[in-house]
Amino acid sequence: MNRVVTLAVFNIRVLLGERMWFVLSWALFGLQLAIYGSLMSKLVVVEDYFFFYSIGLIVIIVFESSADLGRHFVEHAREGELPYFLSLPISRRGLFAANALYGATNTVIRVLPPLAITLAILGRFSIQGIVFTMIALFLLGLGISGLMISMSFIAFKSVDIYIALVAGLSALLIRFSTAFYPIGRIPPIYQPASYATPLTYGADLSRWVLGYDPQLLLNPTVALVIVIAVAVGTISLSMTIMGRIIEGVKAA
Amino acid sequence: MHAVETLNLSKRYKKTEALSGLNFSVREGEIMVILGPNGSGKTTLLMILCTILKPTSGTAHIAGLDVVEDGTRVREILGIAFQEARGFWRHKPSSILRFHASMFGIKPDKKQDLVEQTMKDLELWESRDKMFMHLSGGQAKRLETAKVLIQRPKVAIFDEPTSQVDLRGKRKIWDKIKALRNEGSTVIVATNEVREAEYLADRVTILHKGTKVVCDSISVLKDAIAGGDVVEVGFEDPVSGGLVESLKELGGSLQLSPDGNQLRARVSRAEDWVPKMTSASYEQGAKISSIRVTEPSLDDVFLHFTGTALEEKQ
Repeated sequence: MNRVVTLAVFNIRVLLGERMWFVLSWALFGLQLAIYGSLMSKLVVVEDYFFFYSIGLIVIIVFESSADLGRHFVEHAREGELPYFLSLPISRRGLFAANALYGATNTVIRVLPPLAITLAILGRFSIQGIVFTMIALFLLGLGISGLMISMSFIAFKSVDIYIALVAGLSALLIRFSTAFYPIGRIPPIYQPASYATPLTYGADLSRWVLGYDPQLLLNPTVALVIVIAVAVGTISLSMTIMGRIIEGVKAA
Repeated sequence: MHAVETLNLSKRYKKTEALSGLNFSVREGEIMVILGPNGSGKTTLLMILCTILKPTSGTAHIAGLDVVEDGTRVREILGIAFQEARGFWRHKPSSILRFHASMFGIKPDKKQDLVEQTMKDLELWESRDKMFMHLSGGQAKRLETAKVLIQRPKVAIFDEPTSQVDLRGKRKIWDKIKALRNEGSTVIVATNEVREAEYLADRVTILHKGTKVVCDSISVLKDAIAGGDVVEVGFEDPVSGGLVESLKELGGSLQLSPDGNQLRARVSRAEDWVPKMTSASYEQGAKISSIRVTEPSLDDVFLHFTGTALEEKQ
């Protein structure tokens, strides 16, 4: 366990050195909320839409930071760090856990300050709400990370194809989700696609935790079960695929 | 018990067979040099031993531990300096080494001194606060070696430890590797540099096309070559056909340079052959300008056992 933490801290130190990226990310969030959030809440006729929109935006940040973990893994493999990590006295599960800790830290740093400030501004701030929302978002993040790492085997054939596929998939997963619109307002033709994206469940679960009108959300129990199932499923899949990818990393 | 042992070890990458039924062993406390050209399977063997790659078939054991079944325990007693020092672009050498020491359980009170001393020994101390990405190729390579020296593992593996390192640096690394062996580590060095192999090896394993060609001490391998001594003779004028015929009668194999002024002879005993050669030359009126007697090099050994020169294969 000590070695898992040591490895995670080693990677997190690099992360903490990138303060400017975090500041830019928070600034972008603030800007988007102030401009588009205000604008959209005038155009979309949904109860308390500004709050709905702000949580959707938070969910997108979780998605992006989790996708970063997949890219981080691919970079490790491409730049030759992965063989070194694989030679350390730590189990493969431990290595995975260290990466998950890194991913969770990345997500918390990127999400917690804007979430807390937004909730405070909107008068919905509570420690309990923040904690449970972060748990829901963490589960969603695990699922997305697992998905991205599962796709990383493509990067060993071509990084360009991997980047293009991840960008395309990201756009689809975000656009078809309920990040910006309640499921009931999405045209029926697109609804099957909405149900197929994990962001839908993560976003609605977070909104429910924070007390948004349940009438406009999916059933929270179903959302929770699906978020957990996606996390467990994609993490298991990514661990299996990671084992196979390692075999592809011939030279060190 | 051998420190390292493989049995019928094979590794296949799709259509390429990188290792083919390799039986290989290293005794405790020796430096085993694996000599072979690029693509001979050296790195694949090392990657299997340090549990990064899994064998397609066969087994490999480190200190009695199976590299597939007991991977984590193997990694606890094994240290590897990779062929190419990569990664950690945004870390400083000192932080990389401190992290490495922590991962291998070196106590915090000893860690700082050990890192500092090792960096000074390998002339990295001045670069301790540079980012990894700003290190030269030689510095990055020395950093790779420093990891293993700090760790002082039971079994240490160095994959081409001095490629990209200048001559002075090479000698430093070689001496450190020998010191590691003297402190009790078993060492495996993979290289395609003959000089490195000659300097370090207690025994040499020649690997060619994924199979072991031969394994023994350098002296035994050199003795195994028929016509163990090499005599290089320089003549003031091109050698006549008559002299060549006379020398052929003395035994051994002869090789004449294209300009006819240099003769290279492989003979069983130089001390017997040289006086006879000088007499024959005197009788034929040929003036000798130089005589040089050498042992066969490891390159000759490689040529003898594989039929290919090591240098040509790089």
